[in-house]
Amino acid sequence: MPPDPAAESPAGLAASDPKVTFEALLEPVLDGAFGTALRFTRNRADAEDLVQDAALLACRGFGTFDRGSNFKAWFFRILTNCFYSKYRKKKRQGTEMELEDTPELYLYFQTESIGLHSRTENPATLLMGRLATEQVEEAIAALPDEYRIVATLYFIEDFSYQEIAQVVGVPVGTIRSRLHRSRRMLQKALWVIAEERGIVSALTEGTGDGE
Amino acid sequence: MHPPNRFTCEEVFARLDDYLDRELTAEEMLLVKQHLTLCAACAGEYRFEAGVLEGVREKLRRLAIPIDLMERISARIAEERKGKSG
Repeated sequence: MPPDPAAESPAGLAASDPKVTFEALLEPVLDGAFGTALRFTRNRADAEDLVQDAALLACRGFGTFDRGSNFKAWFFRILTNCFYSKYRKKKRQGTEMELEDTPELYLYFQTESIGLHSRTENPATLLMGRLATEQVEEAIAALPDEYRIVATLYFIEDFSYQEIAQVVGVPVGTIRSRLHRSRRMLQKALWVIAEERGIVSALTEGTGDGE
Repeated sequence: MHPPNRFTCEEVFARLDDYLDRELTAEEMLLVKQHLTLCAACAGEYRFEAGVLEGVREKLRRLAIPIDLMERISARIAEERKGKSG
């Protein structure tokens, strides 16, 4: 990755400044790292351990960090590698949703089929408004590992394709197709959860708050 | 071969994900945008997809972070440094 001489951490510290310590660079990205670790591991205790392990590894390897480059992407790379090597569970947890072959515009057509498009100009907003944070988290958690990882990096951290590719260690083209697929799978997971929780029937009957 | 003056619905549909992510070239971004101003069907699909992404982002932001996480990490780092120099 080409070094950016003006590279700054979110706190406005210049990573290229040799006086800036590892901890000073770590602190502003830690909240995001924890949130990411939580979606990776799907378990709070593991998430805390993962972040701490990654921080320790990163600190030990700080001498190899190119001070002109993106600290956040570098640290998240270590976090992701640590997840894969130590925290990834071999066995699939939770419900086994059939998400693999979800077609494009999945939710668009599902919401159309229950008449939402004729009721409102913003059927997506209507549906998403009925979902609780916990339910969206559940949908993310339902994605298989590789897809959950890119979706998390994309949604939570607003990384670009390029940065995600750097963090995950695969080509940008792979990230692009994996991310597109993960969003389709996420749409299906959201719908399955919305059906299970009675949200779809409530919307079909037109009950609840007016939009 | 000359670049197209306008995109068709099929061409826009094939690029919808990249358009949402702002990962097209500047020229293609413009061609998609132009089509969306002219085509209600494609515009509706785009608006829907963008609405889902926005809704997901919004719900995922809020999270309870352990308040002493940075302290614990600093302590572990300090321990390790002490161990090295000791």
